[in-house]
Formats: sequence, structure tokens, C-alpha cells
Amino acid sequence: MSRKDKLKRLWTLFFTSFITSLTANSGYAILSVLRTTYTKKHEWITEEEMTDIIALCQVSPGPIAINASVMLGYQCAGGLGSFLSVLGCVIPPIMIMVLVTIFYNVIVENKIVALFMRGMQAGVIAMLLDVVISLFVNIKNRKSIYLYVILIGSFLFLRLTDLSVFILLVIVLAAALVKTFIMRKKTGGNHESC
Amino acid sequence: MNLAEIFLVFLKIGCLAIGGAYASISIIENEVVHVSKWMSYEDFGNLLAIDELTPGPIMINCATFIGMTMSGFPGALAASIGCIVPACIVSTILILIYRKYRKLTVLDNIVFSLKAMALAMIISTLVNIIFRALFPGGTIALSNFDYLIAILAVASFVIISKIKVNPVFVMLGCGTIYTLFHLFILK
Repeated sequence: MSRKDKLKRLWTLFFTSFITSLTANSGYAILSVLRTTYTKKHEWITEEEMTDIIALCQVSPGPIAINASVMLGYQCAGGLGSFLSVLGCVIPPIMIMVLVTIFYNVIVENKIVALFMRGMQAGVIAMLLDVVISLFVNIKNRKSIYLYVILIGSFLFLRLTDLSVFILLVIVLAAALVKTFIMRKKTGGNHESC
Repeated sequence: MNLAEIFLVFLKIGCLAIGGAYASISIIENEVVHVSKWMSYEDFGNLLAIDELTPGPIMINCATFIGMTMSGFPGALAASIGCIVPACIVSTILILIYRKYRKLTVLDNIVFSLKAMALAMIISTLVNIIFRALFPGGTIALSNFDYLIAILAVASFVIISKIKVNPVFVMLGCGTIYTLFHLFILK
């Protein structure tokens, strides 16, 4: 890759992250825009690599959009690509939220604003309920008792104990590894999933 | 508020939040509302509504908002950087391993196990949010029940899930109806 190409790539990485983060609302929405940009428009990453990277994004902690920026930036242009991609991704939300927070703290004492914010809670509940159902359908489609055990077990852990989520995370990861190990033995090393 | 303290709390949130934005909401609720008590439930609920109305990753939006409220722009930066540091480190390690080995056989089970855990987390947070929204102030009694929120929530759910209207408009609609109702009818 020539120096000029490299600079162009770095600029594209920063600019794409910046614009996507400015317009898309959640991690998954950002991920899908980045996917089309880098696999279809520029063809810097193959579809197969992209599928793997999306899986990796989901097992890495923190915001999905940041994980995607780090990994896609690295695949396209190395460490500097990673850095610029992350920078592009964080600048818009920080700037916007700083302004929103200043505005919020000034207007929240207002009676009408307080009522309006309270009314919006109804919408928040509906939106989260919709998310819960689509996640549940996603899990139900795997037809795996193991996943129901993780789901119900995690819920009971969260409601009934005061233990740290960290412990839950370790238990779930350990369960996933044990499950993989058992399946490997059963299928004689062939790859299969839950 | 001490910047280092804000940074560390969000560093912890950044480490624990695995499984997407909605799992991170649950972690932030726990750390910021229950453990550190930096925020009331009412403000946390408002923050979720604001997040839905503004672009960008939900976790960074939350971090900036909370950091900014606690100690201005430096606080906003401390919180946002704190919550992305673990993501950057782990992602870099994962992509380097991936470039070397290119085999992801273990990953599928981990992804779905984490999804199941994230679902449990978001259900748990949703239960808290529903109680706080239906019973303002926290006392669970019939006299304290907010019927209007209950009706609006059910109607919104039908509109979002069946008619697939953008949740942003539904939320703004809920705010408008609730405000008008209180100003003109429930006086």
C-alpha cells in the first residue's frame, strides 16, 4: 500500500466512524453501517472476516461500537487505524451529550419538562419490553435447554443475591466453555453449537 | 467529585458490560444508582429516554451525562474514557489473536451464553424501571399507582411492536400526552 493510499484509508476510517456515530443510535445500528461500508463499498474486509469480527465484538466488554471500531480499524490499517476509528466514534456522542446535559440540568426543574420526561418513561418501558422480546425470540430459536438454564439462573442470581455481576460473568463464561468441551467430546471434535 | 473516582467507577462498568448496550444499562443502574448513589431512579429513567433520543452508543452517552453532571466537562471525559479503555484493550488482544489463529469454534457458545445473561440483566432492570414508573416515589400502594403511565406504556408497546413505529416518536408522543393530560384534565 502506498503512503497516499494509507493516508486515504486512515481518513476514511475516522470519517466513517464519526458520521456513523453521529447518525446511528445504538451499537448494533452502528455495526451494520460499518459492515456495509467496509465489506461492500470499499471491500477492505471479506464477509467471512466480518462475521467473525461481529462475534468477537460481542464477547469483548464495553460498547459494541467501540469494539467494532478497534477491530475493523486494525484490520483495515493497523494500530493507527484502530485509534482514529475509535476517536471518530467517541467524539460525536461526547460533544452531543455535553450539550444535552447542560440543557437538561437547566430545564429539568421546570414543571412541564418534568411531566414530559415522566410521560416518556412509558415509551422507555415499551421500547425495553420490545428489546426483551426480540432477544428472547433469538434465544428461543436456538432450541437449547442450556440457554434457558443460563437465562433463568442469571435472573435469579441478579434478583436474589447481592453478589457482584463479575461473579455471574465468570460463571457464565465457565459454563460456555464446559458446554463446548462436552459437545466436542460427543461429536468427536466436529464444530457444533448450542 | 473526584475525577479519579469517576474514572474508576466507569472503568469497572466498562469491564463488566458484556453483551451489548442493554446489558450495560443494567450494569450502570447497579453501579451508579445502587452502589455509588450518584443518581436517583427518576434521573436514571430520564437518562434512558434522552439516550434513545440522541445518537451514539448508549454506554458512552450515559457515561458522558453522568460524568458531566458530577463534575463538568473533565468528569464527562473521565467517565467516557473509563468506559472505553477495557473495550479498547480487550478488542486489540482479540483481533491480534484472531489474525494469528483464525479459528472461532469456541466463540458461538460464548456469544449465546452472554446473550442469555444479557437478557436476564435487562429483564431485571426493566422490572425496576416499571415499578419506579408505575409507583412514583417508590411506595407500592394502589393510591400511588400512575394509571396514565400504565395505559401509555401498554399502548406504546402495541404501537412499537405491531406497527413498528420508530420508538423515538412514540416516546415523544407519550411525553406530550402525559403533559397535556396533567396540565388540562387532572388539575
